[in-house]
Amino acid sequence: MDFWTYLPQLFSSGITIGAIYALVALGFVTISRASQIINFAQGEFVMLGGVITFFFLKEVNLPYPLAALIAILIVALIGFVMHLSVVYPLRKASIVILLMATLGASIFLSSTSGLIFGTLPKALPPFSGEQPLQLWGVFVLPQSIWVLLSTFILLIFLYLLSHRTLLGKAMEASSTDPLGADLLGISRNLMVFLAFGVSAGVGAFAGILITPIFFTSYSSGTLLGLKGFIAAVLGGWGKNSGAILGGFVLGIVESLSLAFIPSGYKDAVAFIILLLILYFRPKGILGSPFIDSRRW
Amino acid sequence: MVDSKKNEFRKRDVFYLAPLWLLSLIAPDPYLYHKKEFKKKDLFYLGAICLAPLIWFDPHFHHLMVLAGIYAILALGLSLFMGYAGQISLGHAAFFGIGAYTTAILTTRYALPTFVAFWASAVSAAVIAYFIGRPILKLKGYFLALATLGFGEIFLVIVRESTDLTGGVIGIFGIPWFSVMGFSFDTYLKQYYLTWGVLIGLFIFSKNLVRSKVGRALLAVAASEDAASSVGINVPRIKLEIFVLGAAFAGVAGSLFACVMSIANPEAFSLGLTVPIVMMVILGGMGNLYGPIAGAILLTWLMDVLSRYQEYSLPIYGVILILLLIFFPDGIGTRLNVRVIYLIGYWAKKKKRDEGKL
Amino acid sequence: MLLLSIEEITKEYDGIIALDRISLKVEKGSIKGLIGPNGAGKSTLFHLISGVEKPDLGKIYFKGREITSMESHEISALGMGRTFQTLQIWGNMTVVENIMAGMNRRLKGGLFSCGLWLPWIRRSEKEALKEAKEILDSLGLLGKWESIASQLPYGKQKLLELGRALAMKPELLLLDEPASGLTLAEMRQLSEQISQIRQEGVTVFIVEHHMGMVMEIADKIAVLHHGELIAEGTPEAVRRNPQVIEAYLTRRNPN
Repeated sequence: MDFWTYLPQLFSSGITIGAIYALVALGFVTISRASQIINFAQGEFVMLGGVITFFFLKEVNLPYPLAALIAILIVALIGFVMHLSVVYPLRKASIVILLMATLGASIFLSSTSGLIFGTLPKALPPFSGEQPLQLWGVFVLPQSIWVLLSTFILLIFLYLLSHRTLLGKAMEASSTDPLGADLLGISRNLMVFLAFGVSAGVGAFAGILITPIFFTSYSSGTLLGLKGFIAAVLGGWGKNSGAILGGFVLGIVESLSLAFIPSGYKDAVAFIILLLILYFRPKGILGSPFIDSRRW
Repeated sequence: MVDSKKNEFRKRDVFYLAPLWLLSLIAPDPYLYHKKEFKKKDLFYLGAICLAPLIWFDPHFHHLMVLAGIYAILALGLSLFMGYAGQISLGHAAFFGIGAYTTAILTTRYALPTFVAFWASAVSAAVIAYFIGRPILKLKGYFLALATLGFGEIFLVIVRESTDLTGGVIGIFGIPWFSVMGFSFDTYLKQYYLTWGVLIGLFIFSKNLVRSKVGRALLAVAASEDAASSVGINVPRIKLEIFVLGAAFAGVAGSLFACVMSIANPEAFSLGLTVPIVMMVILGGMGNLYGPIAGAILLTWLMDVLSRYQEYSLPIYGVILILLLIFFPDGIGTRLNVRVIYLIGYWAKKKKRDEGKL
Repeated sequence: MLLLSIEEITKEYDGIIALDRISLKVEKGSIKGLIGPNGAGKSTLFHLISGVEKPDLGKIYFKGREITSMESHEISALGMGRTFQTLQIWGNMTVVENIMAGMNRRLKGGLFSCGLWLPWIRRSEKEALKEAKEILDSLGLLGKWESIASQLPYGKQKLLELGRALAMKPELLLLDEPASGLTLAEMRQLSEQISQIRQEGVTVFIVEHHMGMVMEIADKIAVLHHGELIAEGTPEAVRRNPQVIEAYLTRRNPN
């Protein structure tokens, strides 16, 4: 088989993984919009979402939707706890310190998860059917369709949350003008706190979607988190639309690269894209409100 | 028998508190760090370094201190880049790895003497740093951190995948001991003097840098780049120079690491190493050259103690890192000692002051 | 003889014209003042001259060489020192080190000769320290030479910034609102300093927000308003210029 027969197949799997990257990227952006913090433990939320759902589904024998819901709530709770115990005490520290602290949290979360839930890779059953569907000559896993559908619904939900509710407006206000928001009585710390919960929940959601397709183990969060971050930078740092676009672009490019390079080098592709984008256009595809082109 | 003994509390564990004591002596204090000349206390440290392994004549201690010395070289280079020039690098583990693999490949594949490989490691790390640094050093803050991290990950992927050259995930075995003109450093004690000798040499080099125009230029860049270029300091160039120098230090450390461990495998140079070396710099106190050495001893000791708790070690490690960052964001010595030193100084000078001599 | 010559400089930020075809000349050995109300584009002009930002149109010549597209460190290396509107002192160094870092360009030595502490480095460090202390002495800061720069009172920091610019032995000194935030006594000291500097043969180009001090010391004054040059000449001529009076009295020009 030559490249052209592979192409649609690679493209469809690229879109699937791209949706996951987009969700992880969205988690980064949610936090960074509330405060200028980058949470390197974001990938661990994804991993925990998958692993905890697996635990409740297989060990406790809860029904699938209930297990998933509990997992999302638990991970959101972990996000809140992480804010209170790590980020809040360090809210005035320099970025190196914050960076190391979230990396420390990431080490703690992944190793603790390995300790509690075991270190073996886990795979959740797909939401429905394992038989690949054939659409326009391309084999597509039903789970891929679930991933796209759920991502789409979540995006609409997040859009409504941030643009149609008072809470979303408060968050927006505290990110664009912290001092002004303070003067209006919007607590910046509260907004960051909520952002951590939301971003952890979104991360867990992504983890539940992806675990039926890729194996999730205690150590797989870090790389996923980094790629999500890269997607956020690629699309335009600090923009929700940028995060989504960046996620899909990254997923598709990474997947298509498999046609040209050995699969072992796949993980390097994302980082090479990162270096290229940082060098040539640090504000990303859609532009970034935070990065002034004159200064970078 | 060895195993049963390992889990018991040993009396000499008390001596592992020595690094803490050392740290308290060093006391990096940001408000004193303009006193950059060599002092009498440096001689005292030198003596302590020379005598320590003879007093605690224990191979395990020697081995730990060898590792600490290697990490200290690494952290020293990073400290110039982070603590003085005020930049962020999460990619120094990769330069460490480049140094280690250069030595490993040259000695095992081409049977070159380790002494030659040692210099080749420093040069190869520096050359790669030059080509990496030129594009990415224009970035700042989080983006610089991310770019250097990305470089580290690319390095790891290349090492894992180019099996022919690097042995893939298994790595390269059987790297010979370091030897100079027939003298082989084949015991932990000899290696101790080797690594700490190299460390002291590089330390003096760094200290000279810091107290000269280069050090002032670095601090100027860290505080305000606009002001630095307004007096004619070439900001991109000095950043690049110090990045390359730090990488050369890392290459040296990597070469020593390969010779001491006699193995080079990718896991040793991953993010799992980046975190502790950056921590060494932070805990020692940014903008202080004694700091990274003290931090290296402290963290090597910490990781050794934790390794006894097996699967619990990583969670505990994560928590300790966070706690250290929360309670000692300016370095351990600062918080512990600023007040104490101030009081001691105050009392010491009080008499003179009363006599009107000061 | 012309030291600095600005020709038809234009700078635009997101559609707002900050500077509109400005031409200015600074004679060697003179003190030139640039005044104007808030937001007139004075600091932007300084940023363009010192190379922190690049103009959209126009050319800048310094000592007969075009410096329009040079990096700011290259321009300073040609002999142009400056201070900043928002104080840019290096708070992580001592007072004397601030001055010595200002001399950076004039000191010999690279990475390796400094690291090995070669004999000539030792000598030049010693000389630099001595010279830095002399500069501090002339500014009246010698008593504080070993304290951390960020711990000085504001007025002394301003002086230190001036000293740092002097330490590089510039031919042209750009002073960006040197008097802002100073007390009257400090301002008087500053005026004396500037006259002193001029007597040593340094050309001074000074931006000030309020007129008093500049009127006193400058030979020629230019007035910027809304990015346009509305007057240029001797202090007396500028003081009597109706456009200048209008610019300073009316809050906003309706045009």
